[in-house]
Amino acid sequence: MEKRSILHMLDPMPHNSPFDINMAMDAGFDVLMPYSNVKLDSVNGLTQDAIFSRGPAGVKRTGIFIGGRDLALAMDMLNASQRAMVPPFEVSVFADPSGAFTTAAALVACVEKELQNKHGKTLADCKALVFGGTGPVGIATGVIASLAGAQTALVDHLSAETADDVAKAYNRRFSCHLTGAVGGNDAEKAGLLRDADIIFCTAKAGIQVLNAATLKAALQLKVAGDVNAVPPAGIEGIKRNDFGVPLSHAAEGTGAVGVGALAVGNVKYQLQNEMLRLMLETDKPLYLDFRAAFTKAREIV
Amino acid sequence: MEKPFILHMLTTAKNLSPFDVNMALDAGWVSALPYINVEPSEVQGLVQDAIFSRSTKNLKRTGIFIGGRDTKQAMDMLKTAKRSMVPPFEVSVFADPSGAFTTAAGMVAAVEHELITKFNTTLEGKTILALGGTGPVGQAAAVISAQAGANVRIIGRQLEKAQAIADLCSNEFGDGKITITAGADADKAEYMKTADVVFATGAAGIELLSAELVASAPQLKVAADVNAVPPAGIAGVDAFHNGTPIAGSNSGAVGIGALAIGNIKYQAQNLLLKSMLNTDKPLYLHFEHAFAVARDYIKSKA
Repeated sequence: MEKRSILHMLDPMPHNSPFDINMAMDAGFDVLMPYSNVKLDSVNGLTQDAIFSRGPAGVKRTGIFIGGRDLALAMDMLNASQRAMVPPFEVSVFADPSGAFTTAAALVACVEKELQNKHGKTLADCKALVFGGTGPVGIATGVIASLAGAQTALVDHLSAETADDVAKAYNRRFSCHLTGAVGGNDAEKAGLLRDADIIFCTAKAGIQVLNAATLKAALQLKVAGDVNAVPPAGIEGIKRNDFGVPLSHAAEGTGAVGVGALAVGNVKYQLQNEMLRLMLETDKPLYLDFRAAFTKAREIV
Repeated sequence: MEKPFILHMLTTAKNLSPFDVNMALDAGWVSALPYINVEPSEVQGLVQDAIFSRSTKNLKRTGIFIGGRDTKQAMDMLKTAKRSMVPPFEVSVFADPSGAFTTAAGMVAAVEHELITKFNTTLEGKTILALGGTGPVGQAAAVISAQAGANVRIIGRQLEKAQAIADLCSNEFGDGKITITAGADADKAEYMKTADVVFATGAAGIELLSAELVASAPQLKVAADVNAVPPAGIAGVDAFHNGTPIAGSNSGAVGIGALAIGNIKYQAQNLLLKSMLNTDKPLYLHFEHAFAVARDYIKSKA
């Protein structure tokens, strides 16, 4: 009898994410095991514990998922887990902290598609702002967009210093070219929007970051994407299901379009589902991070 | 292909109750995932995380269970969970802290059944003493029976604490539509003179009502005890009693013991967990719903 598939879900936070649990179940894993409060230095031990108990056929039915809220930590954990493998005893590992990698990959891929379709531009031609840019989804969005060539700024709602520090730290780590900025009030936000081609909104759910009046300041805006599914929308006028719908509050003549949270969510959903399935189907172990997620997301859109 | 049934089980305690996990899996949930040491402030985040990863069709195959040990906290978490839904992204939620809601429902439904079958009456207007009634089971039982029309007095060792719990039950759990009173354990001989029904929901192994007091009660009809560990909470009522006459009662009272209550509790919890699997509209389940299914179960058996 074929062994049941098992996904060991490692999370540095007090709780695993119910979102990821639903996703993993739906992708076809038979058994999910949550591990919460996992420290980086436990990853080696947990990984080696997982690979040695099922034999070479069994390891193919075993996977490790890395969650959490911290992108850098998740990458460190992914690397630690990969280093802990003892071929042929090795399993696939997928890092997607807070779903940030897949959400960010889906968001950037959707926006890239609309940029191409509606404006004939690529990311490399554009200046992008990431509101909520110092959170997990925001950082991942920024890194992906920057690596794809967009001139990208992470916008924090409280402090320019925080944004700068985060930008520098991730530039060092992933050789990208992020900058930092602060957008605490409407005047600051309007100032940033003036020459932006792309807006990514990855702020907290249920918070409106950009209202109609502020959006008027964005004279070059081409595409705005919002991942907030809890009303009010992060960007006023973008509906949850919008995918390339003209932005009702955009400045005249920009032809700017919006991508809403459920449109991004559909791609993110498919993407995370396919990444999880890959782990079940692969013959060779896979180590999946945001780069793999973005490659796959581009295929999906 | 239909997606598997997933129950996200939240508890403020450091472990889930294995009882609840067994119950959930036996009711048909394919996967039961634990979230321990949950802070009430984390409920909204967890709920919104759970509702956005499945299509609305498959959300019907997703649920949330709220355990823990504290009644008020569990009810608050249930309310928060309900408020956190973003229709049509919503799932059913069932609160049953320490199994107290279903245990209380099982006990009150069993008592009601004895009142109907042996005494040709109902809970309406009955005087009920909830001995050791300040705990989760006592609170829920008091509220359920008060909502069914009984006059309930929660008895505790300290009158002040019993009064605070009674107020909580009346105002918070009963929405101010019921009035539950309080009394001190030291005065229970006096209260027994007018009691029709006694609930014993104290800690296991403590006698809450002596044989003497049972004999002294002129209108006692039913005495129910959730304690399965000897000595019995009510003298003369053992765990196996199920409408059995209590030796020594001068009013012809019958006893209901822990196993009879446990059986109905089991059925009520099973039915509620199953109802979450089969519902078209999300359900938000607590002691009132537990009582409704416990009553239905008894009726269906009769």
